[in-house]
Amino acid sequence: MDKHTILMTLINLTILLFAPFFVIGVIKKTKAFWGGRKGVSIFQPFWDFLRLLKKSRVISSSTSPIFNIAFVIVFVSTLIAGLFAPLVMGFSIINTSCAFIIFSYILGFSKFFALIGAMDTASSFEGMGASREACFTTIIEPAFFIILASLIALSGNYTFSSISQLPQNFGSLGILIIITASSAIFIMLLTECSRVPVDDPATHLELTMIHEVMVLDNSGIDLALSSWANGIKMVILMGIIGNLIIPAAIPLKISLLCFIALFIILGVIIGTIESLIARLRMSHVFEFIFVMSSLALVVASLSAVKIYGV
Amino acid sequence: MDNLFLGMAILFFGGLFTLLIKNQKLKVTIVALCAVISSVFCLKSAFSALFIQNSKAVFSLEPIFQNVTFCLDNLSAFFVIVISLMSTLGIIYSKGYLSSYIEEGKSLSAHCVFLPLLCASMLGVVTVQNALLFLIIWEVMSLSSFFLVIFENDKKEVLKAGIKYLVYMHVSVVFIILAFAILSINASSFDFAYFGNVLENNADLYTLVFIFAFIGFGIKAGFVPFHNWLPDAHPCAPSHVSAIMSGVMIKTGIYGILRMIAINPHQEVFLGVFVLVISSISALYGVLYAISQHDIKRLLAYHSIENIGIIGMGIGIGMLGLAYNSPLVCLMGFSGAILHVLNHSIFKELLFLGAGAVYTKAHTRDIEVMGGLIKSMPKTAVLFLIGSIAICGLPPFNGFISEFLIYFGMLWGLKIDNFATFIIFLLAIASLALVGTMAILCFTKAFSIIFLGEARSENVSKVKEDVNGIFLFPMSILGIFCLLIGLLPEQIFNFIVKPASLFTQEIPSFVICPVLKIISICAFSIIALTIILFIIKQKIWGKYTTNSTWGCGYNRYNPKMQYSASSYASPFIKMLTPLFKRVIDIKKPKAIFEKDAHYSLHMEDVEEAYFLEPFIHSIEKFFAGFERIQDGNIQSYIMYGLIFLIIALSGVVILG
Repeated sequence: MDKHTILMTLINLTILLFAPFFVIGVIKKTKAFWGGRKGVSIFQPFWDFLRLLKKSRVISSSTSPIFNIAFVIVFVSTLIAGLFAPLVMGFSIINTSCAFIIFSYILGFSKFFALIGAMDTASSFEGMGASREACFTTIIEPAFFIILASLIALSGNYTFSSISQLPQNFGSLGILIIITASSAIFIMLLTECSRVPVDDPATHLELTMIHEVMVLDNSGIDLALSSWANGIKMVILMGIIGNLIIPAAIPLKISLLCFIALFIILGVIIGTIESLIARLRMSHVFEFIFVMSSLALVVASLSAVKIYGV
Repeated sequence: MDNLFLGMAILFFGGLFTLLIKNQKLKVTIVALCAVISSVFCLKSAFSALFIQNSKAVFSLEPIFQNVTFCLDNLSAFFVIVISLMSTLGIIYSKGYLSSYIEEGKSLSAHCVFLPLLCASMLGVVTVQNALLFLIIWEVMSLSSFFLVIFENDKKEVLKAGIKYLVYMHVSVVFIILAFAILSINASSFDFAYFGNVLENNADLYTLVFIFAFIGFGIKAGFVPFHNWLPDAHPCAPSHVSAIMSGVMIKTGIYGILRMIAINPHQEVFLGVFVLVISSISALYGVLYAISQHDIKRLLAYHSIENIGIIGMGIGIGMLGLAYNSPLVCLMGFSGAILHVLNHSIFKELLFLGAGAVYTKAHTRDIEVMGGLIKSMPKTAVLFLIGSIAICGLPPFNGFISEFLIYFGMLWGLKIDNFATFIIFLLAIASLALVGTMAILCFTKAFSIIFLGEARSENVSKVKEDVNGIFLFPMSILGIFCLLIGLLPEQIFNFIVKPASLFTQEIPSFVICPVLKIISICAFSIIALTIILFIIKQKIWGKYTTNSTWGCGYNRYNPKMQYSASSYASPFIKMLTPLFKRVIDIKKPKAIFEKDAHYSLHMEDVEEAYFLEPFIHSIEKFFAGFERIQDGNIQSYIMYGLIFLIIALSGVVILG
């Protein structure tokens, strides 16, 4: 391992672990701005996290040891999945052929435990959240696979980080592919990280929640781990969008700045969406998520055209 | 080779020997002992065939069979390993599972003969190289499994399912006979070795033969639309029989398909796409219906269809690789399919045995009345959880490795030729991803409704203890296999490459091995990090207070308020309503305190309801027309005979 690899690994790991708090802080600040409030500091989510760690836990008497270990597994596997995802300068900590499949399946493993962890509390609300979350995943995942498979076929190299090579080889078709792909991934981000219009993290009604209701009976460290994992997932997906937009072959400092700007911009966009529109009715959420599938098919056909001609 | 024959003989004669014994318990013990001893011999010969030298034995059975060859090449040896390992574990489990039937005073004579006979005939099917003898052994296998399915033959639905199974198996054999007949007429020999020569430069003949063989073997394997016997037969059979049937027996169908491909190295693109499409549909259909099931064994049976579909996708990718002359795609496809054969037999058997353990204690297969069983049956629950994660194809367990190999083949296939193949491979990737996520939905449902939360009925809440060691021993071994294959994919790949090398001489394993090494490191680190973090968590945040689950302010909690299996699956089912036939049984309340009011909803198989049943009815209608001829009058029967003779004679005279 040379010096550059170690440096990049450290930078990416730091971003992976601490950017989640920052991004959520930006979102909250934006929402405060639109609400005409001054709002809390953008580092508040981190202080909240530390406060959760100090608190003791209350656990439902219906639960089994599965509940106790589930959120550790959720956190660990999300983190390990994050090691495969490309971040600053298109660098993935673990870089290998067809890595996006390993990445998605490790995330799937984390989702499996998030779901059974929720079901373990014998609560009707948590069951509701889990069932919706599982259902949304079935729509998102195939679309994600189509997009990523077309992109890596397009870049010619089968590693996950090779998608960061795409912005350099623009061309008119290339721009179209990148715009469609990144908007599809943005929809995925809104769904997976349970933001408006799919899910409202600030709602107070259990019947309409998705992710929040799955962690209704979590407290202390369990809640901290699960929300941290959720934040990491958000940063990973933002990183994928970033790699589609920001060219990889630029100096480290500029790339780092670009990514920080990207996190802020995406955070502001999410916060603005959350302030300006209400969450969709549950039946319309499906329609919203299916937009991602159609975009994925567009990406696929455009890539096929780009590779083979018409 | 001799060791294999010895193993088969031990099974066969051991089964017959139990007829002489009166004591039911002793019978089961003897069968289990025979299975263990025979598996030692079979494994020994299979491993030596795989790692030292392929072996062969030729018998001269003139004039009917000509020369009969039994051969242990890499493919056969691999299937012998799967069959003898998995069926032995199933038979050991039967010792525990059958004990409750022995207490009821049920006779096990037939069961104890046919169980080892089934295993012996499966071993025969995968080694014999003579078409005629193959069909005979195949038939022995189907019949012995039929008698195992109708174990509880005093129940009407069991007999019905058994007969359905029997009919399906015979339709299957008709197609296999057709395929073999065409081949052996052209080759003027029954030996598989000569079949290859005929097919060289004769693509049309191969297409015909392959489609017949695919339908025939596909019925056994359970490809959609020939799958209908699976979800009926598996719930009726005893758990260890369903485990052996689903884990091992349906794989003989896959073996047949692979053998048909192996005899001809020149594949057509069309056939590859055909297999890929049928398999993708099977995989999606299987998991879709599994989600809608509440009977645990029916759910697992539909999952067998799904996994057969995944195996078939691997085979289809492999065939496309052959057709496009791409050794990497071909190797990944076939090795993924072959590894999935092994993996599926491991986790499906584990899940069926787990379901059997739950059935033994809770006396029901309906998951809607279960819940909270992890508290009384922790060991079964953990093993079932391992099986569930593995069947969803998630790391760090074994299912992921085979699915990854298939994905790998598909991704490399994207750049193989042209626009059309790009789209085909891309859609295959998407459907495999969809199958994976649907499996997650299905098994989070199954596991959490059975084992987590609170008991949903009185009977289930009375379960106080876990099953005993004889149940847990085979299950634990299967669980360990699941984990081992997931942790050591590189070693397993080097093993699986041997049978896969039958299809391609070039082995570009340098592409895949580094990736498998990384998967293995990841699997280890997930487990290690989880353990470390969990220990830290227990040390620092170990203390907690317990309270009841948040009920939104409502404090009269009742276990019936939990989310049920149907409500868990409902958002998904609702999205795909047209794909189901909904059977609603409703009685609305009329009085104020109506006691009979009820509502139930079942999802029935559309293929059965809209395709199979109308088809059978039309056949019945057609043959009902012949009732008029059969009037029960002996004079008219004699007349029919006379008419036939006259026609035949005149035919002879006219045609000379």
